[in-house]
Amino acid sequence: MKLFLKDHRALVAVYALQLLAVSGVYWLDGYRDGYVVLYAGLLSGCLLAGYLLVRFLTHRSFYACLEQDGAMDAFKEVEPRTPLSESLYRLLKKQYRAYVTEINAQQYKITRHLQFISQWVHQMKTPVSVIHLLVQDSDDSRFVAVGDEVDRLRKGLDLVLYTTRLDGFAQDFMVEKLELEALVRSVVSEQKRLFIRSKVFPRMQFPSGERLFIATDEKWLSFALTQVLTNAVRYTTKENANLTLRAYRRDEETVLEISDEGVGIPASDVPRVFEAYFTGENGRNFRESTGMGLYLVKQICDQLGHRVEIESAVMEGTTIRIRFGGRRTETLQGSKEV
Amino acid sequence: MFKIYVVEDDRQLAGLLENYLQRFGYATCTAANFERIKEEFEREAPHLVLLDVNLPKFDGYYWCRQIRNLSTCPIIFISAREGKMDQVMALENGADDYITKPFDYDIVLAKIRSQLRRTYGDYAAAGGDRAVQLEGLKLDKDRLYLSLGDRKVELSLTEVKMLEELMRRGEEVVSRDRLLEKIWDDQVFVDDNTLNVYVTRVRKKLAALGIEEALQTVRGQGYRLVPRWEEAR
Repeated sequence: MKLFLKDHRALVAVYALQLLAVSGVYWLDGYRDGYVVLYAGLLSGCLLAGYLLVRFLTHRSFYACLEQDGAMDAFKEVEPRTPLSESLYRLLKKQYRAYVTEINAQQYKITRHLQFISQWVHQMKTPVSVIHLLVQDSDDSRFVAVGDEVDRLRKGLDLVLYTTRLDGFAQDFMVEKLELEALVRSVVSEQKRLFIRSKVFPRMQFPSGERLFIATDEKWLSFALTQVLTNAVRYTTKENANLTLRAYRRDEETVLEISDEGVGIPASDVPRVFEAYFTGENGRNFRESTGMGLYLVKQICDQLGHRVEIESAVMEGTTIRIRFGGRRTETLQGSKEV
Repeated sequence: MFKIYVVEDDRQLAGLLENYLQRFGYATCTAANFERIKEEFEREAPHLVLLDVNLPKFDGYYWCRQIRNLSTCPIIFISAREGKMDQVMALENGADDYITKPFDYDIVLAKIRSQLRRTYGDYAAAGGDRAVQLEGLKLDKDRLYLSLGDRKVELSLTEVKMLEELMRRGEEVVSRDRLLEKIWDDQVFVDDNTLNVYVTRVRKKLAALGIEEALQTVRGQGYRLVPRWEEAR
């Protein structure tokens, strides 16, 4: 409405001026019947009002469309009844089509790319398996070193794989009720080579009386925990350091804390560690970081409904805390185990 | 002797698997023509099949179904894909188990043994399985004891794992790290001290059989079992 009035301000002004001009001419010519002049003016004004009203009604959607913020498919709001509206409608529709086509093309490219990456990663796992088998049996220091590098290769491949899968998370996960201790033990045992080689010793501190259950997806959570463990080990430089895995219940929630005795993260970097590609101070000193590990952990936890926190002190160590929402566990108490 | 049919198109991987399985007393045959897996299976009549999912021509699922038309022998899938759906598909197509790449030899062996036990009964477990022998010293892994001649001593599971690795290597040095890996248990995570404790225990057990100084410490490298007990007898 406002736009309509603004648009026709000039017209109304010119019309009024014109009315005055014509009346003025006749007045100057000697015509003196004032009431007739006014009557003519009123009639004329009504004509104008009538015209404006009709124009307003037929162009209402047109002006409404122009006044809003402009969603991509705003053109659908325009009713093409008048020449002006019709032109706008056609223009917007053409643009919309063009953009949608472009977006689809880009989306298609991305999907193809992700598929390629996924396939490539799976193919790479075969030579990695071969090397892994070749060096497994020997204690020759060179073979052991190759074994270490192959472990790193494999972790890198997994990182890529899980990153590509994040987008399709909704199709790829299944929540079940799991015992926390068993899951943590299994993840730790999987990384036993890492712990042994780096001389970092994992210590479990789980409550002895009760068993803690959580509602989560085993595969995704295991991957996230593996990232945390790998980080903890990578950033621990002193020998025979401890890695503590503590679990407890607080405020109706089950909590898991993983604390290392590593180099810690400077306070200025801590708020940013969950950002993708962020490597910070430590990233500069320890060359290996991709900056994706903690980002993935946060994404995965967000998707699963867990909260993740971090505390760190330089030269003392870092603690990652995951809170597994208690309420969801309660809901699953009664249901069948998947 | 059990025969295992390895269907894997990566030659290296197939070769490594074959080698390893043969060391443990299994006969093996590998797939040569990936268009004729079914015929090869019929001809070779293996006791168990290790089947890769990604194969040229037809995929593993297809061959699994084909083989299932002929036999109920155990089929274990090998694949790089570890998604739940992939595993479900494998099992739905007739497989009995699933191994993901990259894998450890231990896992392959354990799964093979488990399937063979289930299908063919306990009696025919392949040779290098239950017992490990080294110059007359015999380690029974299932019943957890060590014997030399007519002397016998009982062992804990961890001690069995340690001795198995030491005996398998013969006189080779076994690194501390490898031993730590072998005795690492889900329930008890081991550290350096624990290893020392177990080495001492194993030495005591050997002594109980009259074997002294066979388990040597090789500084900076690890441990080695020197089979010198024949003389002690």
